[in-house]
Amino acid sequence: MRIIAVGIAEIKVVQPPALLRTNLGSCIAVCIYDPATATGGLLHFMMPRSLQGTAIVKKAKYADTGIQELVEEVKRMSQAKSCSGFVAKIFGGARVLQNISSDIGSNNEEAARRILKEMGIPITASQTGGDRGYKIEFDVGTGIARCQRFGEEAKEY
Amino acid sequence: MSSQDKLQKAIKVIAQLSIDTASRTFSKLIKAGATIDLERAFIADISEVTRMFSGSEDEVVGAYVDLVGDAPFTFLFFVSAPDSLMLTDLMLRREVGTTKEFDLYAKSAVQEIGNVLASAIVNVFSRDFGIAMKPTPPAVCRDYIGTVFEEYIMKSAGELNELFVMESRFCVVQFDIKCHMFIVPLPGSDEVLQTVLESPNMKEYY
Repeated sequence: MRIIAVGIAEIKVVQPPALLRTNLGSCIAVCIYDPATATGGLLHFMMPRSLQGTAIVKKAKYADTGIQELVEEVKRMSQAKSCSGFVAKIFGGARVLQNISSDIGSNNEEAARRILKEMGIPITASQTGGDRGYKIEFDVGTGIARCQRFGEEAKEY
Repeated sequence: MSSQDKLQKAIKVIAQLSIDTASRTFSKLIKAGATIDLERAFIADISEVTRMFSGSEDEVVGAYVDLVGDAPFTFLFFVSAPDSLMLTDLMLRREVGTTKEFDLYAKSAVQEIGNVLASAIVNVFSRDFGIAMKPTPPAVCRDYIGTVFEEYIMKSAGELNELFVMESRFCVVQFDIKCHMFIVPLPGSDEVLQTVLESPNMKEYY
C-alpha cells in the first residue's frame, strides 16, 4: 500500500489503496470519508481561523478554509453531489509545550468541531487534547484511522 | 546578486558561524570530540519541511530556545531519546550507560545543552555582527520527532508559508551520538539582517 506523508498545512485526497500518515502536536488532523464511494482525505491544519481581508495562499493552514477545501476535494474525487453522507474523524490538539500561554490546541479542536457541525458532517470518532503528540495513519480505502498518542498503545477508530 | 539573495547569504553566513561555534562549545561541554556531518541552508515550504519527519515513530528529546532581540530567531536542538541518556552521563561526568531512563537529570541535561548552544549562537550574533540578542529559558519536550519539529516551526509558520532553515547534524564520535540543530529566522529579523549585510565582517564573505 502507498504510504503518503502529510505535512503541516496540507491536504491529501488520494485514491485507495493508500495510507495517509502524519504527526501532530497542537495541530489537528481532520479525516473525511465518503463510505458510499470509499474515498477519503486528510487535512493537517495549524490555526483556527484565517485572517480576514488578506489573501490566503495556503488554505490548509486554517480550520475554516482548510476543512472547506478538504470537503470539496473529497467531493470532486468521489463525484458526490453533496457531503451529506460524509463522516469525519478528528485527532490532535495537544498542548505539548507547557510554557506557551495560549492553548492553540484546544482552540483548533473547538474550531474543527464547530465547522464540521455547521457543514452537517458528523464526527464519528476523535482523540484530542492532552500533553503528548500524536501519530495518525488514515486508510483512505476503509476510512479506518489508527491513532497513537506518544507513549501509549495505538487505537483504531 | 539580488537583495533577497544577499539576505539569504547573510543568514547563511551568520548561521554557519553560529553552528561552528556552537558545536565547538558543545565538544568542550561534554569533553568529547564532535564532527559536523551536515550543514545546510535551504528555503522550504512549511508543508514540505514538516514532511521530512511526518509519520516517523522515532522518539527524540528537544530543547527549544527563542533568540530574542534585534533579529529574532528560533533555535532547536534534539537528539534521539537513547542518545539523550548518554549525553546526560557525559554532562554529569559519569560512566556512559549509568542513566537508564529519561528522568529529571536527563531533562535538565538537554535543557542545559540547549541553553549553552543558544548562548554560543547569541555570542556570534553579538560579537561578529553587533546584533543584540538574548536566549529565552529552554523548553524541553520528549515526543515523536514529527511532533517536536512541528511545534518548533509553529511560531514562524503562523505568519510565513516558506521558511529559511539552517540545519546542522553533528556526531559525538566516541559514542556515535547524533545531534541535530535548527535555526530559523522569525518574522521581524529581515530589517536588521539587511544592515548586517553592510558590516565589514560580512564583506569578506562575498
